[in-house]
Amino acid sequence: MMNERLPIAEIWVYLSGSPLFALILTLATYQLGYTLYVKANRNPIVNPVAISVLLATFCIYAIDMPYEKYFEGAQFVHFLLGTATVALAVPIYRGCNSLKGKLIPMSLALLIGSAVSIGSAVSIASVLGAGDNIVGSMYAKSVTAPIAMGIAERIHVSPTLTAVFTVATGMLGAILAPFIMNFLRIGPWWIRGTAIGVGAHGLGITRAFSVNEEAGTYASMAMGLNGVLSAVLLPVVVNYLRS
Amino acid sequence: MIDGLVQLLIWQGLGELVSILFLPNIPGPVLGLLFLLAFLLIKGEVNQPLGMVADSFRQHLGLLFVPASVGVILFLPDLKTHALAVTAALLISVVLTIATTALVLKFFAKRSHDE
Repeated sequence: MMNERLPIAEIWVYLSGSPLFALILTLATYQLGYTLYVKANRNPIVNPVAISVLLATFCIYAIDMPYEKYFEGAQFVHFLLGTATVALAVPIYRGCNSLKGKLIPMSLALLIGSAVSIGSAVSIASVLGAGDNIVGSMYAKSVTAPIAMGIAERIHVSPTLTAVFTVATGMLGAILAPFIMNFLRIGPWWIRGTAIGVGAHGLGITRAFSVNEEAGTYASMAMGLNGVLSAVLLPVVVNYLRS
Repeated sequence: MIDGLVQLLIWQGLGELVSILFLPNIPGPVLGLLFLLAFLLIKGEVNQPLGMVADSFRQHLGLLFVPASVGVILFLPDLKTHALAVTAALLISVVLTIATTALVLKFFAKRSHDE
């Protein structure tokens, strides 16, 4: 009896100790989420990231694996966030042509939009009594996740909570944006695209592209500009508010 | 494919370097993004390997923030206590953000139309 059980236990000890387990868990749950997402016609409610995070969290909770241990393996995926941020230069460059004469209104709308996003989220969370951890992580939540986490490290708030709030914001924004636009009677695709890019970053872009090419391009531009402006301005603003 | 990845890593490295040496407030990858954007604007085109890698990154950007998001497990008790605050903040803020941005742009579009 013992002889039969021992090898499996040994294999398990080996596997859970190597980065392989965390990598498989991360990639396989994402793959499953992505397959479901495509099957559901890219409906923003069936978000691959949310599915992957839920399943992976449940798994490491069920086998009692500490998060630090999981991250040791998953950090190889995590590292690529920085590289992916650099790669955002390509869609921004491609959208530059359509920016002609709209740079000033777009930048202004971005600045006002981001200010409203931060101001409302931070004040609502603190009025309702959330702790510093949660309130601090509301600052960068409307920025695309890779940049948001970079900002979170700079302003000394939790990159993890920031990432979670960012994903939630993207999902909510992508789901609600069409209703908001129709309610406000916003017609032009470039305005609808820009607004969804500011409010719902990456997921908003996916949604915008699936409806209209022009809206998608403007959403990419808006997300990129918003990310860069926030990365430059947020640390300054937060340090000023705290001092 | 590897060619494009090497280009990205070099721009990222340059960004990290400048961030550490001169601009500690701005994340290195954001500086790398700006350098690459400037480079593309000067060159006037995206070379094919770079475009390919950038497109695959954009398509699966979500995968890359799974490891960090799983860390939510450390904050579950905290989030449970403040569930109402978190939900209200996220929901109201996203609606206000999208509505404000759209209305500001609509205002500008209308004004330039009237002129």
